[in-house]
Amino acid sequence: MNEQPPEHGLDTIEERSRALFHDSVEGLDFALRSRLTQARNAAVEAASARRRPWIFRIGTWTPAAGVTAAAVLGVFLWLGSPLGHHAVTVADGQSTFEDLEIVASVDEATGDAMDMLQDDFEFYDWADKAAVSGAATSG
Amino acid sequence: MPRFDTLNAAWMVWEDPAPAPEGVILEYRRELDKFLGEIERRAFRMAQVALRDPDDAMDVVQDTMLKLARSYSARPSSEWRPLFYRILENGIRDLQRRRSVRKRFMTWLPGAKEDPDNEAQDPLDNVADSAPAIPEILMQGQAMQQLEVSLRALPTRQREAFMLRNFEGLDVAETATAMGCSEGSVKTHYSRAVHTLREQLVGVW
Repeated sequence: MNEQPPEHGLDTIEERSRALFHDSVEGLDFALRSRLTQARNAAVEAASARRRPWIFRIGTWTPAAGVTAAAVLGVFLWLGSPLGHHAVTVADGQSTFEDLEIVASVDEATGDAMDMLQDDFEFYDWADKAAVSGAATSG
Repeated sequence: MPRFDTLNAAWMVWEDPAPAPEGVILEYRRELDKFLGEIERRAFRMAQVALRDPDDAMDVVQDTMLKLARSYSARPSSEWRPLFYRILENGIRDLQRRRSVRKRFMTWLPGAKEDPDNEAQDPLDNVADSAPAIPEILMQGQAMQQLEVSLRALPTRQREAFMLRNFEGLDVAETATAMGCSEGSVKTHYSRAVHTLREQLVGVW
């Protein structure tokens, strides 16, 4: 039906143009044929990949699964484990920010903030325990 | 192995675990590969006639193959041919539309050159503009070159109807599916195309 041989000496415009067209198809150079073959192979591969059972398609999802796992792990590490004993961090975020503020600030009268921390270490240890016990009783 | 009308049907209703579905997939691959192998060169030439640029034609054919494989390969294989050409013609039209918009945009720019894709150019300009295709044109001869110029000068729907019916050998119903129009429209477009081409080419050939 489609692969009519080239005919010459044809009468109608349809026959003549068809023969010319099929001649030109046969005359496609090797490079173009090669590119068409590559395109065909890619298409066949794409189609058969869709038709494979799910077990054969696991490899397709591996990169996405890896990225998702990394993201979950990152969030987990950033927020800390909700199952652990980081009650101060989770339950009393406000006090954590206050502590950070004290550490970061520089008191002109006392010099470096880290020096102040060393001087009042016992006080901050007590404050930390008080915050934990307060959170436990309120919770 | 049981025989089915289409391998797609075989895959859908597969119940017997032996032989493995992989065997069906392999046969399905062979059928799709055979179909695309039969059609690819004609499709490329039709796209090249419409677009003139071999790289653009190759891009459109590649996209068409992938879209058919991804979206429509579950359809019976008897429907693949008109579906393939429907996707192809849509791709050609999209590309021509993008060229038209680009050309309109370029004319607004100061110092913009004339777009080489202008449809109303002298046929001799086509030879100079499509440098990569010169050996091919020489091989095909003056008659094919003249035919291509005349086909490009046709309205899009007439060119589609003529190429699908006459070059690809689709019947009226398949051509209507490929063009997304009625069978009556296909007949009208085809008749007008033949009439125009006869007027233009009989004296030249």
